[in-house]
Amino acid sequence: MGVFEGALTYANLLALLALGLTLTYITTAVPNFAHGSFAVIGSYLAYTLLAAYGVNPYLAVIPAFIVGGLIGTVVYQLTIKPLIRKGASVDMLMMATLAIDIILYGILGAYSDFLSEAFKRNASKFVFTNIDFTVGSVPGRVFVSTALVIGTLIGLYVLLYKTKFGIALRASMENPALAEAMGIDVEKTRLFSWFLAAALAGMVGAVLPFLQETVPGTGGFIIVSVFAASIVGGLRNIAGGLIGGYIIGFSESMVTYGLSDVLGTGVLVYGKVVSLLIMVAVLLLMPEGVTGTKLWRRLVG
Amino acid sequence: MLETEKVNAGYGKLQILFDVSVKAEKGKITTIVGPNGSGKSTFLKTAFGLTTVYSGSVKFKGKEITKLPPFKRTRMGMAYLPQTNNVFTNLTVMENLKMAGYILSEDEFRERLELALSVFPDLKKILDRKAGNLSGGQRQFLAMATAIVRNSELLLLDEPTAQLAPKLANVIFSKILEMRDDHGITVLLVEQNAMKALEISDKAYMLVSGRVFYEGRPEPLLTEEKFRKHFLGVVEELEVVEDGSV
Repeated sequence: MGVFEGALTYANLLALLALGLTLTYITTAVPNFAHGSFAVIGSYLAYTLLAAYGVNPYLAVIPAFIVGGLIGTVVYQLTIKPLIRKGASVDMLMMATLAIDIILYGILGAYSDFLSEAFKRNASKFVFTNIDFTVGSVPGRVFVSTALVIGTLIGLYVLLYKTKFGIALRASMENPALAEAMGIDVEKTRLFSWFLAAALAGMVGAVLPFLQETVPGTGGFIIVSVFAASIVGGLRNIAGGLIGGYIIGFSESMVTYGLSDVLGTGVLVYGKVVSLLIMVAVLLLMPEGVTGTKLWRRLVG
Repeated sequence: MLETEKVNAGYGKLQILFDVSVKAEKGKITTIVGPNGSGKSTFLKTAFGLTTVYSGSVKFKGKEITKLPPFKRTRMGMAYLPQTNNVFTNLTVMENLKMAGYILSEDEFRERLELALSVFPDLKKILDRKAGNLSGGQRQFLAMATAIVRNSELLLLDEPTAQLAPKLANVIFSKILEMRDDHGITVLLVEQNAMKALEISDKAYMLVSGRVFYEGRPEPLLTEEKFRKHFLGVVEELEVVEDGSV
């Protein structure tokens, strides 16, 4: 696969993950460290459907979306909501999501052992690259990941701008106190945002093994880039997640590849350093991210 | 319509209101005046359930609502318009009005929207404009229009003319009168522009240091020097006064 194609696929998936992370941060002020593991749940669901029923993992994006969303809903209802009600600080909520991530990691590890045993094939690390389709010489993951972004954007546009609930969701994101004063059930919009964010993560997870080797701990690895993307784009604007996803996704892939030409292939494993350096630079120059700049505000009105 | 009885309230452990009893009668404009920091805005927030009430009671339409969350008070017919952040700036004017009618059926919403736009016809031309791009006056019109869409029976207005030019402030006051006279909306008003607010009021209260200092007709507050000095924030003594008699 070409470098650009790989970068585009990675950026597409990262953008979708960062979009979800930003969404839950705006609605509930929770920096969710378990977001990466929500994606890995989607990966293992796709793997299970493939191993058990021969279902193409691309078709698993739909069940992965639903299952991911349900898990996000359960996590919010059982942990985040009660903590918010008890007045937990952002730090406490962040630590809670770290704990959730560790629990999910443990569950995924145990599940991968179960799968390995049940299907007599190693499920502790796997890829789908060998079963991907190609159009010309371009692998299917480029098209599918791009289609997922376009589909998500269309879906989000219709939801947020054309439905009453979506407008209420935007209203709740901007000013929850006023939204409540209007009679909007803000709690419902928070719950939905967790469903949607985790659903998008689950969907991404079904495609992720087409791009990289997936293990139970992949979530903990990928979350670094997801956070960098959300912060670079701006944590106060869901468009920020998308923009940050592309900035970090392309930079991480292209810059690391460029450096490997000069410094050797050993540098490829340090791709996350590029994300973190960009994040630090953005925090110094534009503390509220790209969408928090005056230029952005002027552009979007 | 709204009645508080010996309400002690504040934020967390910080008590702001002390034994405040206020009655806002149906179809009337009741204004609360007082120096800065006297607890006027806190009182409105208390009426809407946004503060901690330590003791006392809040009743709306005869029903006890002291512990009711704000969104349920909205559903009962109460609208609270804070001084700032009273519209969704990222939403268009139309979307703001739609959110105001969130709990209404489509037919009810259309009916209320028509009414709101007849009271504030200037909004018709800017329905697609983002509320964040409106002028101060237009924003205030929109905020008040949302209260009409909500079919509110009681409007809690926190300094609706703050930072507006005098001419525009007069328009806001005339709209408040229109809402009372033509649509029977009860108004509980907190205003820095006390003189003008008292002129359009049926009843007035003066709060000083979180206590009711005066209750009665608005005229004495406008004419008597001992009250007027409080509009400038000067407090020499604190004594509870009722119906203008010291």
